[in-house]
Amino acid sequence: MKTFAAALTVGLALTTSAFAADPLVVYSAGPASLSSALANAFEAETGTPVELFQSTAGKIMARYQAEKSNPHADVMISASWGHALTLDEAGELLPYRSPNASSVPDALKSDHYVAQGAAALAIAWNPNAGLPAPQHWADLTHPAYKGQITMPDPAKSGSALTLVQGLVAQDEDNAWSLFEQLAANDLLVPGANKAALNPVLQGARGVVFGAVDYIVIGARAKGESIEVVYPDEGTVLAPRPIMILKSTRHAQAAKAFVDFMLSEKGQQLVAERYILPARTDIEAKRPGWKELSIIDFDARQAAAQAAATKARFAAVTAR
Amino acid sequence: MPATALPGPTAAPRGRSLRPLLLTLATLLLVILVGLPLLAILLYALFPHINEWSLAAPFGALLPNLLDPQLITASLNSVALALGVTLLSTCIALPLAFRRAQMATRPGRLWDALLLVPFLIPPYIGALSWMQLLQTRGFSEQLLGFNLAGFLYSFPGIVTVMALHLFPMIYFAAARAFAVIGNRYADVGRVFGGSPLQIFARIHLPMVLPTLLSSGLIVFILSIEEFGTPEILGNRFGFRVIVTAIHEKFSDWPIDLPGASVLSMILILLAFIAFLLHQRLARRFSSALENQSLNAPPRARTPLQQLFDLLLFGSAVTLAVLLPLLTITLSALLDTLSGGLQPSNMSLRHIGGLFELDSPAWAAISTSLTLALLAALGSVLIAILVAFTLVRLRTRGSAVLDFLSILPNAIPGMAVAVGLILTWNQAFWPLSPYNSPAILLVAYICLTLPYPIRMLTAALKQLPRSLDDAAYICGAGELRVILRILVPLLAPVALAAGFIVFAIASRELVSSLMLAPPGVETVATYVFHQFDQGSINAGMAMSLVTILVSGSIIVLGQRLPGGQVR
Repeated sequence: MKTFAAALTVGLALTTSAFAADPLVVYSAGPASLSSALANAFEAETGTPVELFQSTAGKIMARYQAEKSNPHADVMISASWGHALTLDEAGELLPYRSPNASSVPDALKSDHYVAQGAAALAIAWNPNAGLPAPQHWADLTHPAYKGQITMPDPAKSGSALTLVQGLVAQDEDNAWSLFEQLAANDLLVPGANKAALNPVLQGARGVVFGAVDYIVIGARAKGESIEVVYPDEGTVLAPRPIMILKSTRHAQAAKAFVDFMLSEKGQQLVAERYILPARTDIEAKRPGWKELSIIDFDARQAAAQAAATKARFAAVTAR
Repeated sequence: MPATALPGPTAAPRGRSLRPLLLTLATLLLVILVGLPLLAILLYALFPHINEWSLAAPFGALLPNLLDPQLITASLNSVALALGVTLLSTCIALPLAFRRAQMATRPGRLWDALLLVPFLIPPYIGALSWMQLLQTRGFSEQLLGFNLAGFLYSFPGIVTVMALHLFPMIYFAAARAFAVIGNRYADVGRVFGGSPLQIFARIHLPMVLPTLLSSGLIVFILSIEEFGTPEILGNRFGFRVIVTAIHEKFSDWPIDLPGASVLSMILILLAFIAFLLHQRLARRFSSALENQSLNAPPRARTPLQQLFDLLLFGSAVTLAVLLPLLTITLSALLDTLSGGLQPSNMSLRHIGGLFELDSPAWAAISTSLTLALLAALGSVLIAILVAFTLVRLRTRGSAVLDFLSILPNAIPGMAVAVGLILTWNQAFWPLSPYNSPAILLVAYICLTLPYPIRMLTAALKQLPRSLDDAAYICGAGELRVILRILVPLLAPVALAAGFIVFAIASRELVSSLMLAPPGVETVATYVFHQFDQGSINAGMAMSLVTILVSGSIIVLGQRLPGGQVR
C-alpha cells in the first residue's frame, strides 16, 4: 500500500507530501494557525514529519467515520469534548497518560484523552450598540436587550450545547425558564459560533449569549469593538480534546505529539491564540483558571441526554 | 486542411462499429465517477456500519430518521423553495436570452462574460454579502438610510437571492437555443403579420421550451441541494430545508453519517420525480429542428431596442453581479467589521495580507485554479461523449445514463464527499485517487458533470441529424463524425460549459473541506477557515482576488478560437 501510494503521489502532478519518513497524521479542528504552528514546532523538535488535515470539528469526525475501513488518522484534536466521550465509549481510543499532564485539572483528562486547552463561554457585547453593560446571564432577559441577543445553536456548536447542559445541571427549572425568557426577548439562534458573533460585530445585533471567548478576544485584539463578560454565577468550559486513535500505526510518535502539546512550549503556542491552556501552571493570555468561576457538572451524564437537551432547547426557542 | 491524427475515410471503420465501444466507455465513466459514490451512500443509508465493512444492524438508520416529524415540513420547504427559484430564474433569464440572440457578437459577448460572474461567487459568500448589504445597520442603511432585513429574511427574499445567483444557468442555455433557431421562422411570422408578442409566444417559446425545461431542471435540482443560502438566510426565520437537516447531522456531536445518507435519499427521490416529470414534459414539447440555418445573421437593432436592451441587461447585471461584487469589495477593504463604512476604517490590510511572502493564499489559489482547469477539461470531454451516446445512439439504457448524469446535483456536496471516501478509501483498489489532490479532481468532475452534459445534450438535440447522416454516407465513422462535425459545431457550447465548470470548481467548498488531503488548501477552504476562526473581511478579500483571477481567465478563454465559432 505504501509503495503504491508513493508511486501514485509521484505520478500525480500535484504532490502533497513525501512518504519517505513515515509521517504522523493529525486531524485537527481550527484555529488553523495553532494547528500548523504546533505541527511545525513538533517537526522541528523531533524530526517526525506531520501531515495535518485541518477542518471543523464536525468534518474531521465525519472524515474519520467514513474512513473507518481503512483509517489514516493517528491523532485527532477536536473542539468538542463530546467527540472524545463518544469515541472513548466506543473503545476507539488508545490509552495514554502523558507525564506532562500532571498539572492538567482532573476534569480535563482521562486515561484515553486529555485537553489541549479550553475555551470559556461568555457574554460578548458590542459597546457601540448603546446597550447597558451586561453582567449576568439573566440580565439579557431585560427588555433593554429585546431584539439584540444572538446565541449559537446547540445543534451546531458543541460549546453552546455544553453551556446549555451546564446551566441545566446547575439549576434545571431556572435554566429552562431563562431560555424561555430569552426567546420571548427575541433571541436569534442563527447557526454555529461565528454566525452568532458576526451580526453583533456588524451592528445588526448587540450581544451574544454564550460566545466562544478566545475567538472574541482574538477579534478584539485585531481592533473589533467587542467586550467579553464572564458571569460570576458560573460559566462552562469547552475543552478541546486530543485523542490517539487505537488504529494508529505510529503509537510512539503519536504519544510524543501529545507530550509535546502538553509541554511548556506547546502550551505557550496554545496560550498565544487566547485559548486557556490545559495546564494550570502555564500563564494564560486571557482570564485564567483563577479568574473564572466554572460550573461543575457531569459531562458524561449530560452527554447521555444530549439529544433530549437539544430537542428541548429547539422547542423552547422555536419561533 | 489535412486531418492530422484522424484516420482517413478509407481507413475509417465502415458503418457504426464504434457504437458499443462508445456506449461502454460513457457508461463506465459515469458509473465510476457518479454511480459508485452514489451506491456507497445508498448502502450507507441501508447498512449503518458499512464504513467498517460490516452489514450489522441493517435498516437501523431508516426509521428513526424517516419518522422525524420535522422532516415533512423540511421536504415541503425544499420543494417550494426549488419551485420558486426555478420559476423566478426562468422569468429573469427568458427576456435576457431572447434579446441576447438579437445582439451583435461584441456587446453580446460582454454581457455573457458579466453574467458568468454569479457562477464565480460561492453561494455562501453571495448570501453573506446580501446580508451585509441589506441587514439592520448594513451597508445600505449606513449609506442610504434604509434596510431590507424584513424582505431578506423571508421566503421571497431567499428565492430572490438564489434566483439572482442561478438564473444565468437558464440564460446561457436559452440564449444558445434562440441563436440556433435563428430568425427565419420569426421572419416568416412577421411576413404573415404576426405581432412581436405573438411571434415570441407562438414561435420562439415553443421552440426553446425543451431547453427551458432541461435547464430549469438543473436549477430546480441545484436549489434543492443548495446549502449556503438557506443556512445563512433561512435560519433567521426558522425556514428549514432538507439540506440544512443533513448538514446538522454532519456538523457536531453526534456525527450521524448513516442518518445523513438516509436524508440524502429523499433528495435523490425528489430529483428523480423532477426528472421523470421533465422527461414527460420534454417528450410532449420536443421540437425537431431539421433543416435549420446555422448562421442566421442577427438583424440590426433599432436605437430604441438598443436602449431597451441596455436597461434590461444593465439592471440584471447590477442586481446579480455589481451589487454582490461591490459589497464583497467594500467588505474586503474594511479594517474591522464593527468599524462600519467609515473612511477611517478603510484599509488594504486584508488584501495586502494575501500577497505576503509566506501567505498560504497563493498556494491555495494555484491549487484551486489548476484543479478547476483540469476539471473543466475532463468534465467537458466526458460530457461530449455522454451527450453523443444519449442523443445520437439512443440505446435502451440511455434513460438510466441520463438520470445518473444529473444526480450529483441532487446530493449535497458533503454526502458526495462521504460517498467518495467510502468508494476510494479501500485497500483493494490497485490505484486510488484518495489522499492525493486527485480526489478533489474526481469530486469536482462528479459534482459539475451535470452542467456540460445538460448543455451539450440540449445543443446536440438541436443539431440536425442530417449532418451526421451525410457524413456517414460519405464513409466516416463515429469518431470522425464526433471530432470533425459535432465537436466544431458544439465548440461554443462546450466552451461555455467549460467556463461554468471552471467557475464552480474554482470555489467549491463543502466537498473540499472534507476531501482535501492533509496539507492541501483550496481557495474555498482558505476562505472558510477565515470565516470560521479568522476575520470575515480577510475571507472576503480572498474571495475578491479569486473572483478577479478566475474572471480574467474566463475572459481570456473567450478569445480562444472555439469562442469565435457561431
